[in-house]
Amino acid sequence: MTTPDLSVDLAPTNPHELRLRNPVIAASGCFGYGEEYASVIDVGRLGAFVSKGITPARRGGNPMPRIVESPAGMLNAIGLQNPGIHGFVKKYPPMWAKWTVPAIVNISAESVNDYAMMATILDEQPAIAAIEVNVSCPNVAQGGYCFGWDPQMSAEVTRAVRSATTLPIIVKLSPGAPDITSVAVAVEEAGADAISLINTLVGMAIDVRRRKPLLANHTGGVSGPAIKPIAVRMVYQVAAVVRVPVIGMGGIMGLNDALEFFLAGATAIQVGTAIFVDPGLPIRLIDELGRWLTEEGFSSLDQIVGIANDGFQLGQRPVLAAWESVGV
Amino acid sequence: MPSLTAHRAGSGQEDFGLASVTPSIETTGASREFESRVLSVEPVMGDAVLLTVSAPPVVLSRLQPGQFFNIVTRFPGSFDPLLRRPYSVYRAHRDPSALTFLVRPFGRGSAWLAERLPGERLGMLGPLGNSFTIPSRAQRLLMIGGGVGVAPLVMLSDEATSKNLDVVFVMGAATEAGLLAASELAERVEYGVATDDGSRGHRGLATEVIGDFVQWADQIYACGPEPMYRTLRTVAEPLRIDRKPSVQISVERGMACGLGACLGCVVETTHGMIASCIQGPVFDLDEIIL
Repeated sequence: MTTPDLSVDLAPTNPHELRLRNPVIAASGCFGYGEEYASVIDVGRLGAFVSKGITPARRGGNPMPRIVESPAGMLNAIGLQNPGIHGFVKKYPPMWAKWTVPAIVNISAESVNDYAMMATILDEQPAIAAIEVNVSCPNVAQGGYCFGWDPQMSAEVTRAVRSATTLPIIVKLSPGAPDITSVAVAVEEAGADAISLINTLVGMAIDVRRRKPLLANHTGGVSGPAIKPIAVRMVYQVAAVVRVPVIGMGGIMGLNDALEFFLAGATAIQVGTAIFVDPGLPIRLIDELGRWLTEEGFSSLDQIVGIANDGFQLGQRPVLAAWESVGV
Repeated sequence: MPSLTAHRAGSGQEDFGLASVTPSIETTGASREFESRVLSVEPVMGDAVLLTVSAPPVVLSRLQPGQFFNIVTRFPGSFDPLLRRPYSVYRAHRDPSALTFLVRPFGRGSAWLAERLPGERLGMLGPLGNSFTIPSRAQRLLMIGGGVGVAPLVMLSDEATSKNLDVVFVMGAATEAGLLAASELAERVEYGVATDDGSRGHRGLATEVIGDFVQWADQIYACGPEPMYRTLRTVAEPLRIDRKPSVQISVERGMACGLGACLGCVVETTHGMIASCIQGPVFDLDEIIL
């Protein structure tokens, strides 16, 4: 019995490529800068990991409380606490240069120029395998409207980053977009090598005793198993309309969840919130995925990517309207 | 005493190389995540329990007073409540190797944990965080605990008395029923109590009875609710000289990862927002912004 091929290339048309030994990636915001988990898991076995979100200037983050639990999930409003791009490049790329695991840097900004500025700086750094562009940020020039909710604004950011670097670019989509497929198509045309989704959904929880929102920031990003069905649906939709690899994430807590994403069309997956509660999960997934493929008679991962998509034209009509989902 | 430096996540240079080599169990610290078996559950301090669980000897060899474990508080297969709960160690047992936690049912996680029965399994991650430190020349230690906040101070007093240091241990609780039994502390510990209703000891706050001991002590330790730290500051400030003795406090924050990755548990200090899970939970009272 041969071991199934788990390797993936998430930037097949980019000269740099983004070849991973396996498709399991630790998601941004849930894995620090990699070193935090070095004392708990074998970081070197991961397909890759994504850094915390880096911004043009250093940020102290939001006031506390920053996290609150929700049913089968959590809300977070960390506020992108990070050392800023200049502080970041001094410390982390030199450290990662001694590692074998590919490091992907997640970037956030409030203007197109700032995204490009950060990509220019990252382009010169060692040990950066790819850039993940977080477009779930307010566009200050457009009155704070989220870049990621608008296809043109998302494409503009992607083009700016594309022209600033030859590194593989992954654009991380926001599930708040009114039509996520049009955003996906727009960023693909603008030069994204891969698309990752979904980012968190905006939510709120209220402290009944104090009669106030629980999070100091009022709203926060909902993550965890509670959001998985939404994520699977969006991966299914997006994978059907783009040619670039799709990286699926949102509430993966075990092998079955991961398989749902592959079957929906994801070439790779990211594990986020689950790492907080089950840090060993990403490594277990690599092993379990290999075993499952063997048991099911597949010789490589790509044989299952997208096979749940039977051509059903999701998104051509309002499939999530309440009258349909309850079968009225 | 064994040093924890090499095992502490995010503590700096010593961790940087770990992922670059092919790590062994030892260098990856894989034993920081392990499964415990509940050994005993003993009612204590009113509605709380002392939960004693098995732990690998390597875990105990690393453990320092004030450190905590992030514990799964749900059944396997359930995702609710999702996040682990941080508990500092109440007492460490060497033979057989075990840990005791003080658990008061308060929210869903603690209520679940307090209902566990001997033989059941628990998912553990730890030891995590920094620890209380006993300065090398300190001889006289003052410890102030509020409610279940006494937990890490009990382990600290165990350590101090094993070194023949003098310990004054003051505890505050709502009523007599909520107090730690004197038998839980070593005989040489001087134990004072305060209750809100005066049912035992001083009527009022624990911080109101420590005045005479502030200058006596070489080092002060406290663990309890945040208002206690404000009072402690007010009480101790006029009695300290050149900010001596210093006061080490353990801070409680809602937490997700416990490893410094998510930055959900930060504490505001004089030098910025700091993750309480790795650079805490123990802080100097003077550096915390309350």
